[in-house]
Amino acid sequence: MTTAVSKAGAGHTVAAPVSRPGKLHREGRAAYLFLSPALLFFCIFLILPFMFAIVLAFSNWGGFDLGTMKWSGIANFKEVLSFDGTFVKPILVNTLLFAFGAVFMATFGSVLVAYCIDRLSFQGFWRVLYFLPVVATVVAIGNVWKMMYQPAGLINAVLNKLGVNSVGFLSDASYALPSVTVVHAWASIGGAVLILTAGLKAIPDMYYEAAEMDGANSWHMFWSITLPLLRPALLFVLITQFIGGLQSFALIIVMTGDGGPVNATNVAAFEMYQRAFKYGAWGTASAMAMVLFVIILAITLLQLWVARRRGEETS
Amino acid sequence: MKRRRGKFPWFAYLVVILGAVAMVMPFLDMVMSSFKGAGEYGVIPYKLLPESFNLDNYKEAFSQLELPRLFKNSVIVTVSVTISVLVTSSMAGYALAKLRFRGRAVIFRFILATMMLPPFLLLIPTFLIMLNWPLAGGNDILGRGGDGGLTTSLISLILPFTVSGFGIFLMRQFMVSLPDEMLEAAKIDGANQWQTWRLIVLPQTKPVAITLGLITFIGTWNEYIWTLLISSSDPDLQTLPVGIQLLQSFLDPDRTMPIVMAGLVISTLPVLVVFLIFQKYYVRGVVLSGLK
Repeated sequence: MTTAVSKAGAGHTVAAPVSRPGKLHREGRAAYLFLSPALLFFCIFLILPFMFAIVLAFSNWGGFDLGTMKWSGIANFKEVLSFDGTFVKPILVNTLLFAFGAVFMATFGSVLVAYCIDRLSFQGFWRVLYFLPVVATVVAIGNVWKMMYQPAGLINAVLNKLGVNSVGFLSDASYALPSVTVVHAWASIGGAVLILTAGLKAIPDMYYEAAEMDGANSWHMFWSITLPLLRPALLFVLITQFIGGLQSFALIIVMTGDGGPVNATNVAAFEMYQRAFKYGAWGTASAMAMVLFVIILAITLLQLWVARRRGEETS
Repeated sequence: MKRRRGKFPWFAYLVVILGAVAMVMPFLDMVMSSFKGAGEYGVIPYKLLPESFNLDNYKEAFSQLELPRLFKNSVIVTVSVTISVLVTSSMAGYALAKLRFRGRAVIFRFILATMMLPPFLLLIPTFLIMLNWPLAGGNDILGRGGDGGLTTSLISLILPFTVSGFGIFLMRQFMVSLPDEMLEAAKIDGANQWQTWRLIVLPQTKPVAITLGLITFIGTWNEYIWTLLISSSDPDLQTLPVGIQLLQSFLDPDRTMPIVMAGLVISTLPVLVVFLIFQKYYVRGVVLSGLK
């Protein structure tokens, strides 16, 4: 105890002089006790696995016995990034198409919907309706859409009514990826609408009143008031949706089972999952995870950078 | 308050109503299909409404899907994770918001950073860590020799989710605004930090605790990938989403889909009811996370 107190005294001679040398120390000890479950958790379930993931990506290991793990340098990355394999094309290309497509549709849709909801009464009611898919499990969403996409399902029935022939949404390789992308976008509109309506609420009415007096129409107001002032909320939506879109694969498992037809809906995170847990190729799978992680990081930083530059130009 | 942000409400109504139909239609199809009888599903021309509200699919769902077992697992996992996240978040949040100690800024920044690591990256190593957990499932102290480690018990579905960086952040932001005088008064009355947290701070955090509890509850109830992985070798560990999804792999789709839909209706209902009752709090949590 005495050593502990004197240590604290030495540590805080500048910050907390003579008065009560033990007080800060006691508070510090309490703080670390309060934080200990969280810190212990982050060590075991975050730092350790993160390090482990890096080591795995550079090693060759097929079984469950750690002793048989071998260092293999960048061999896994060479294999994964080779153009002869399937990872770069079509899988990475699919991943980017899926994420960009879904983000584009969800952002466009949610800006439109949020802008319109902001004009109506019963706004809470509308937002809850759009939010329903966010609350449902991916198993429910995937299966319901799988059912609706079937030849005897709702969507083909509507198409047939309009005189269009039935489409094999999930069985035709050229339609499968767009079909799954639409579902992902559909499911993520609600969260975006919510954040964007909060952003819209924060724009003061006086801007619109002033613009109205100047004779601006709705379209002008949207471009020159709403969109620029909505930028922080929009940026948050874009970044989180990209991160979500690039790493999601639960919908793929539920809707197409194996990323088919013939890899048409296979995405990077799903390929990683398959390599690791179907074939036990921990090294290759971890290298795939690392490549995807770097892509996510790069796109996020790029978005932040673009947003900052744009901000400097206009302000 | 009347908002005058340009006109065209008829157009706004058109867009919002069309969109809302697209949002609700799949759920309507799900509910209607769950009542369709044998020979009514997968037929052309498609009909939305069932001929009669047939409850056979629900009976089948209870027997074939073993709904009670799946339900029990889902409840155990969800309740454990939610309670644990609430307790650990409010403890860590209190330390970060109200206690002065060395390294506070560093730890806070570290916790913010933990939210940036995408879950898929940690999937493989976390699975291997659970598999080689020391002294579990027959493993020795070095985590070797057993079969399955922690992956053979429901603990493996709970443990990796017991702490949430987002939860700590939410609690900390809320607690910063609690008046210091209140805590000082408790200390003058002789309360130690634990008592101050337990008796003074905790009761004040009710609104943010409801928000965080709800987000955690819904997220855990719907969790899919990790549970799929852990239960792949042990069906006893399946939760509702996983159990319902796996039923399809060994049954005829035209026969199964209505049963699956019945199972999905039952598994979606608790979340939906909880969400509709507390949606104000859920919505606030999502908005708060977007405007940090």
